[in-house]
Amino acid sequence: MEKSYIEKIQIHKTNKVAGLHPATKFLVVIMYTICTFVLSSVSLTKIGLPLLAIPWFLVVLLLCAASGALNKCLKALKAVVFIALIIFVVQTFLVPGGEVLVRFGFLKICEKGLRTAISLSFMILDIAGIFVWLFQTTENKEISRALEESGMNYKAAYVFTSTLQMINILSDNSKTIMNAQRARGVETEGNMLIRAKAFFPTLVPLVLGAVMGSEERVLTLEARGFSMQGEKTHLFNLEKSGAEGAFKVVSILITVLVVVGRIALWIL
Amino acid sequence: MEKKKYSIKEDFSMLALLIIPVGVAVNFVGGQLASLLKLPMYLDTIGTIFASMLCGPWVGAVTGALTNIVTGIANPVNFAFIPVNVLAGLVTGFLARGKMFSVWWKWILSMLIMAVVSIISSAPIVVLVYGGVTGSGTSLITAAAMAAGANIWAAFFGTEGIFTVLDRIISFLICWAVIKVIPARTLVKFGCGSNYIKDNK
Amino acid sequence: MDIIMECKNVTYSYPLTKKPAIKDLNLKLERGKFYGVIGENGSGKTTLCAVLRGFAPSFYKGEMEGEVLVEGKKIGEYGGELAKKIGFVFQNPFTQISGVKDTVFEEVAYGLENFGVPVEEIERRVVDVMKMTDIEHLAEKSPFELSGGQMQRVALASVIVLEPDLLIIDEPTSQLDPEGTESVFAIIQKMKEKHKTIVLVEHKIDLIAEYADEVLVFKDGTMIANGDKKEILSDMSLLEQGAALPQVAILGRKLQEKGLSLSTIPVTEKQAVEVIAEALKERKRS
Repeated sequence: MEKSYIEKIQIHKTNKVAGLHPATKFLVVIMYTICTFVLSSVSLTKIGLPLLAIPWFLVVLLLCAASGALNKCLKALKAVVFIALIIFVVQTFLVPGGEVLVRFGFLKICEKGLRTAISLSFMILDIAGIFVWLFQTTENKEISRALEESGMNYKAAYVFTSTLQMINILSDNSKTIMNAQRARGVETEGNMLIRAKAFFPTLVPLVLGAVMGSEERVLTLEARGFSMQGEKTHLFNLEKSGAEGAFKVVSILITVLVVVGRIALWIL
Repeated sequence: MEKKKYSIKEDFSMLALLIIPVGVAVNFVGGQLASLLKLPMYLDTIGTIFASMLCGPWVGAVTGALTNIVTGIANPVNFAFIPVNVLAGLVTGFLARGKMFSVWWKWILSMLIMAVVSIISSAPIVVLVYGGVTGSGTSLITAAAMAAGANIWAAFFGTEGIFTVLDRIISFLICWAVIKVIPARTLVKFGCGSNYIKDNK
Repeated sequence: MDIIMECKNVTYSYPLTKKPAIKDLNLKLERGKFYGVIGENGSGKTTLCAVLRGFAPSFYKGEMEGEVLVEGKKIGEYGGELAKKIGFVFQNPFTQISGVKDTVFEEVAYGLENFGVPVEEIERRVVDVMKMTDIEHLAEKSPFELSGGQMQRVALASVIVLEPDLLIIDEPTSQLDPEGTESVFAIIQKMKEKHKTIVLVEHKIDLIAEYADEVLVFKDGTMIANGDKKEILSDMSLLEQGAALPQVAILGRKLQEKGLSLSTIPVTEKQAVEVIAEALKERKRS
């Protein structure tokens, strides 16, 4: 039998990790973030470097690989790595304080600089990294549905989903308008003033069109029963991969161990 | 004239709900366009300012927050700046309610307030979370100033200040240009819209 | 007479205007009839649609006197439920999409989801409507990739699938090419066959002459004539009021003035051919 249309819009994932219910993924993200904070408060070596935050990043890579999305995630991680790298370099060389560890000509690395460099850059890398895993292995449609499932008001869920679509539409429109304005002789190169001026003929019609369109969209939505009271049906439904229980238990367990370990270190 | 009353529930009318996605998308496109035209400003709060000017502070705040949440999906570093964008929405919205966009000297005052709020609110995040450097164009200037021995806070304020004021001026002019051409019949449907209609009496 | 909707002394003005857009309107819409609305630009046709759907004054604000009743109940009392009773389609095909759906199938199903209709029933109803509106081949496309004509068909399908008793359609083809216009009217024809109550605003007078049962004529916010389409569309005095009449009706009158005795004034081309042929035959015989 041919697949029904409703069947066609469902998302089936064979990978058990990528196919985790978004709520479970979110729990993993929260637990991981808590661990990141706890781990980076642990000072190692004699100058007190928060080294644990470094291997902890491997968990992100492991999750991405297990989800079968390592390449996709690495691509998205590029921007994060870039920022982390800059922060690392800047902090290492610029923050004074403590003993001077290394000196290259006019540059010097101080104890405090190295400490903040590692802690800041890896904290960002870890936390941003785990979110990259969440968003790269979950489609926008799944996020929207998960928000509704978690009891979010249907209006708020609409705003979220519609925002994701609106960004694509307006970006496409802006390109069309910009090309049209170029064809009409609006300069987009030259000194800063000329370039700043080119901003207006593109953006003003874009925003105006979008606002006027919203007015009619209200009528459309009302005509489609947007404000109807009562339970709504959902054609698209989230699936579970079966590994939810295991992931919940393991992530909570690890977090508890990490926290207990940290407390033990304080006491001892 | 009777003083207009505002309620949060009425602020989020159907139309306001639909302006939020538009605002977020405009923030996004504005930022994209600014980098395409190689402008040294972000210009990524135009949508927030626009939504706040029309629909008031709460709708503006939601627009601001959602912008950073959605761009955070691609680059989670943006999550940290949610408060900056929320505050931009709130401040602009309250200025709009206070009819602070009615005459030229009030605009200038409002723009300065908006710029100051933006700098003050982003400074602690940039300095404390990122150690003063986020990897953007202007932050390299900040880094250079720090290398030359300037205090981290001073370096940040100095470089961000000028560009933030310029950013707010351009953003505001765009919003103003749009609001001026929206027909009065449409403007009245927005919470703060009637503030921009010239009385014919 | 089964009245589905009634306007009693309705006067409505948009905000910031002094002149009412609709003046002293008294109108009864009978269930199962097809009403064509004509008049010049700015004569109040679109406002009429907004009033009948309850958008004026609830969304457009402004001031309204008199009352609009839907099946005897005030229109304001229905709230969101009105979507079940009245379908609404308007000019711009590109703003009539929900903005949250990825495929045409989901777009058409959106209203039914809001209504809380069970999943299996949604699939069945949506497929039926897609067949009827000839959009099934688009089912898996993104609504944003469609042409104006296709989009307008999707908009109609999304409303028809809700099975409203009354359909209000405001100039559905003004932004479409001839091919798109034809495909949209093919759908309207099917709705007429299903005996839906329809209110259609349309500039193309020949289409009104063909489809409508009754015609309402507007000028400056006032309904200056209403009644059976044959009577209204052959009333030459309306020409002076700025209303457009079908070319064949004008031809019929002219022929009559020239002494050709027509049994009736034709309003559609088909009628004209019949009536004139008959009159010519008659003339030959005498």
